[in-house]
Amino acid sequence: MVKISTDLLEKLDAALRQGNTDEAESLAKEMLDKGIEPLALVQEVLVPTLTDVGRKFQNFEIFLPELMMAGEAAERVTALLEGATLNAGKPTISVGTIILGQVEGDIHDIGRNIVKTLLKSHGFKVIDLGRDVAASAFLEAAQKEKADIIGLSALMTTTLPAQRRTIHLFEEVGARGQFKIVIGGGATSQGWADEIGADGYAPDAASAVELFKMLMGLPSSK
Amino acid sequence: MQTNWLPEIVNRSENGPFMKEADFDLALARKTAELVKKHGIKFDPKVLVPRDDDMADRLYQAGLELFIEMGVYNQSTERRILFVREEAGAAVEAAPNAVILGCGKDAVVERHREVESTIPCRMHSGPTGTPCSERFHPLILQSCAQEPLVDCLGAGSVATYLGRLIIPSSPTEILASRKEAAIAREAVCQAGRPGMHIEDVAVPLTCAGKIASIDQQVGLRRSDGLLVSQMPELKTNYDQLSRVAYMQSVGMHIVDLMTPLIGGLGGGAEGTAVVTVASHILGVLCYSVSYHFMGHMNLQWSHNTDRMGLWIQSIAGQALARNTPLVAVNDLYTRSGLGTPEILWEVAAGAIVGAVSGLNQHGVGATCGTRMDHTSGIEARFQAQMAHAALGVTRQQANEYVLECLRHYEHTLGNPNVGKSFPELYNTETLEPGQEWLEVYQKVCQELTQLGLDIDRGWRKVRHGENLN
Repeated sequence: MVKISTDLLEKLDAALRQGNTDEAESLAKEMLDKGIEPLALVQEVLVPTLTDVGRKFQNFEIFLPELMMAGEAAERVTALLEGATLNAGKPTISVGTIILGQVEGDIHDIGRNIVKTLLKSHGFKVIDLGRDVAASAFLEAAQKEKADIIGLSALMTTTLPAQRRTIHLFEEVGARGQFKIVIGGGATSQGWADEIGADGYAPDAASAVELFKMLMGLPSSK
Repeated sequence: MQTNWLPEIVNRSENGPFMKEADFDLALARKTAELVKKHGIKFDPKVLVPRDDDMADRLYQAGLELFIEMGVYNQSTERRILFVREEAGAAVEAAPNAVILGCGKDAVVERHREVESTIPCRMHSGPTGTPCSERFHPLILQSCAQEPLVDCLGAGSVATYLGRLIIPSSPTEILASRKEAAIAREAVCQAGRPGMHIEDVAVPLTCAGKIASIDQQVGLRRSDGLLVSQMPELKTNYDQLSRVAYMQSVGMHIVDLMTPLIGGLGGGAEGTAVVTVASHILGVLCYSVSYHFMGHMNLQWSHNTDRMGLWIQSIAGQALARNTPLVAVNDLYTRSGLGTPEILWEVAAGAIVGAVSGLNQHGVGATCGTRMDHTSGIEARFQAQMAHAALGVTRQQANEYVLECLRHYEHTLGNPNVGKSFPELYNTETLEPGQEWLEVYQKVCQELTQLGLDIDRGWRKVRHGENLN
């Protein structure tokens, strides 16, 4: 297996941190051309770099624009690596498929967008359904994408019932056992998760990543 | 100048440039960073009440440029509503610099305030972003409305209707909205101030729910208001704009609610200040509001009493005070909860900053709105007292007071004292604050008086028009 040179590794790390999408993609191409395995790039550069970016964001050492730009660069590189992996007839590099969305009636985006960015940077495939998502749309997407985990976000107390309603629908159609369903957002709590039968609750973006990893049986980033 | 704005805003919403929302967010983040650099906006964590008039003016220009360059994103159409500089300038110039809130003997005039102004701040109170239980909601509202220094009441939000969670866009939203409005009306009547301005009913999430709160006999009246929200950052949608259409046509006050996120798309303190100024301009152009709630909040914990939050309040307040006639109001969110000294120190810092930076006063969102029934009249009384005591104070003096206030609570922000809820701190029969809460309040008042803030005489100056100098 070809080893990644320190020079290239540092350059890609810097390009990702600076959100320099074109340069990050170009460096990743160069590495693939040199015979470096896509999975090695994910494990040795993408995940550690974006984990550190996420940690800095959580500590308010950097802010949302830096996180978003690093996430965008990482997403472009991930798409390139995913294409290379599939072309080589190998299984996907994704560590799991996640469906995310604001439950019906909830129109708040920022928190979910942060979780999405962090999850993608940890190698998850994320299908973001956006805001004000009907229960049936979560179900349809989960079945279509063969999702592993569904994340239901609600910021307002008045949108909590829609989280319960969504979980109910999965139960009613007999699909509840096929998926893990977790909740988050300002109005939620562990108590509410227990009450509505969710598989987990995360109070913030960083713990959401840990929760998703735990549910997928992946090692913690901590 | 365009005078019939709403049809034109719909026209631009339908025909403006298409943009995916994620691309708008990234473009806004990049443009904001560029403008911070271009205009040399600089946050100094030791100077939370800056005296740099030129920076305040540059900040206003940066906010105006951001608004013109980005426009307003309409989430309903995925298109940008664009304005030219002349339109923005003319609309801001024509915005009201004073509004009459409430009616009859309880009506008050809320004015544009200048930097270091001696014009008294108006005090808006109620459960700011804080959910209430159905049981204690009426008592909490009355405890606020009965405070003599409170001028306006927000009805806040209840979590349930007849014990059941409220479903948006359902009949329970309409019923809960009407009930909440009636309870707010009853609270101001019970407090002997039936004409007090009610600024919002927060339970409904939809235009229909908001409109349901309006009822000349038992609900909200023309002399009251309702919030129209901006989504962070610089976003609107047809549901919000439809509220504007209705309220304009019935002659109610439209209230601008913005929540620029510190650490969000604007980046740090400087960029969030730019976004905050731009958001006020959005409120003028798209919502034609009577007054603006400056509700910037920290992305991590939703408070605005840390150094960045206080600095943004001050510099954005000054930028608006010096460059516009707008009636702007701060919107304090604290990490600490009721019954604690820390919440009062957080409120003191925010109130002083607002009073000297051209703002009126709104609070208190205790525990950042995370705990049920964490509102009472005492902290609103205290906020008004602090604001009045700070009238005539210079920015330099204010900065020293604020740094001293921070010394009492800054170390607790990461792990705040959440205190106790309303029924644990008030006598729910007599509606008077209990001894525990009163003692905390009196102790902090004494400490602030020793620092040189004339808390006792402050409100008398306001009521009796004593010469402040």
